[in-house]
Amino acid sequence: MKEKAFASYHPIILFVYFTVTVFITMFTMNPVLLGISFVGSIAFCGMLIGGKELLKSLAYSVPILIVIALTNPLFSHNGETILFFLNDNPVTAESIWYGVAIAVMIISTYYWFKCYHAVMTSDKFVYLFGRFLPKLALLLSMTLGFIPKLKRRYREINDAQKAMGIYTSRSYVDRMRSKIRVLSILLTWSLENSVDTADSMRARGYGLKGRTSYAIYRWHKRDTIMACLAFALSIGIIWLMFSGYGGFNYYPTLASVDISVLAFILYAGLFILMFLSTVIEIKENVLWRYLRSKI
Amino acid sequence: MDKNLISISKPIEKSAYLNTEKVKSKPKNNIRWRTIVTLAIYLIVIPAVIIIGVKLFADRKYNIISIVIAFLACVPFFIGFEKGKAGARELVVIATLTAISVLGRLIFAPIPGFKPVTAIVIITGIAYGMQAGFMTGALTAVVSNIFYGQGPWTPFQMFVWGFIGLLAGLISLRGKRPHWLLLILIGVIGGVLFSMLMDIWTVLNMDGAWNWSRYAAALVSSLSFMAIYAVSNVIFLLVLTRPFLEKLNRLKTKYGIFNQV
Repeated sequence: MKEKAFASYHPIILFVYFTVTVFITMFTMNPVLLGISFVGSIAFCGMLIGGKELLKSLAYSVPILIVIALTNPLFSHNGETILFFLNDNPVTAESIWYGVAIAVMIISTYYWFKCYHAVMTSDKFVYLFGRFLPKLALLLSMTLGFIPKLKRRYREINDAQKAMGIYTSRSYVDRMRSKIRVLSILLTWSLENSVDTADSMRARGYGLKGRTSYAIYRWHKRDTIMACLAFALSIGIIWLMFSGYGGFNYYPTLASVDISVLAFILYAGLFILMFLSTVIEIKENVLWRYLRSKI
Repeated sequence: MDKNLISISKPIEKSAYLNTEKVKSKPKNNIRWRTIVTLAIYLIVIPAVIIIGVKLFADRKYNIISIVIAFLACVPFFIGFEKGKAGARELVVIATLTAISVLGRLIFAPIPGFKPVTAIVIITGIAYGMQAGFMTGALTAVVSNIFYGQGPWTPFQMFVWGFIGLLAGLISLRGKRPHWLLLILIGVIGGVLFSMLMDIWTVLNMDGAWNWSRYAAALVSSLSFMAIYAVSNVIFLLVLTRPFLEKLNRLKTKYGIFNQV
């Protein structure tokens, strides 16, 4: 798999970065902040999964956005600007705008998680939690290892059963029964096998004191720089948000966007934080192309 | 030299007795410690989060509060598992069962909602007890979302599936197949509970606060899914319980696992 630039930072930094971005996105209702998060998440996601895939997923999420925005007035009748009445209930402009904001928030969260999915591979996750929850991390990594293995076995059993001519009819119930039968065989096979794995683990000293585990991740100098930068930005943003800058109300009437100096610093800070990942990705790509062109 | 070792029959029994007492006294202490942590999280930390959230976020933003609570609710079980007596064998068996339930979600992927996951979690709870049930349920949510995509809903699924496994272990006799009427009841409750709790998340995510009319709409729109969940749970439970329980019980007697967990 191609190693991405942002993904090569230390797993702790990646995890904290995504936690902060998602929580800020879910916390705010300010249109400027939401807009920054929306564009930031889509830009980074596009860098990670490619423009074509991004367009494909946008084709799904944009209609959802519209539906959420348009149905919000059905559930909330707050707001002063009444557009028209639907079944004796007022439909207000404010509640439509609120719906748009909610939809943008949900979709940005979705895209940040999509980025998380691409960047935080399961081995990083296991590494991160293996330090203070070794047993759970082992359980998780073992489960992840079992899945492709069991999938192969499932196919093997399925082929064997089909060759024996069991449940080959096209009827729905028969297909269901064959699947359940195969699942049951899979259970027998895997359980016996798993106990062998456990015994072999114990024979090699699992659970003894002083055993360490190998980790591929090292803390580099650039990790320190990145951590300081992201930490300073996050603290600044959270502090400003809790001091009431960048607040926004939709009901009873739309508030005006906060344009004080500190609010602008807040917007700029969030912009830098959320585009940090995209910029690193672009920078590395440009550098790579440049170095290659010199060969 | 130990006097007990010189004469053969009786004293050895005695020393063995001493040994078992030594072993027994440890988990007792462990359990007390675990109870304190559990109570502390449920009675102090979670209400504190709610109060802080209400004060700090001006009675809104329950989407964030609810994620934190759902996650915190799982923590005692994770700590209990981490500090508990589960050895390598128990660990691997739970991993296998989780992998199979995740695979079940993939195998039956063509039919939306019709999945054996809840049934497998329930059977694990019945066969190996509350903790194994909870771990299998919670882990299934995390692992299957690695394939289907994580989201803010992951802590909710973790808690709901884990809780269903825990409940199954709580209400049934360990390793005994419940009456088929009870199985139907468990299946229906499991499906309805899952759907209703996930709809709570939908409402909190959209409004940031509680909204009854939105909850009603979410319930109605997911009614078909709720029905599919309940029906599939019942079907899978009725079909799978006998063979699966037989196999899990056999493993338990053969290898002596999950005896003290």
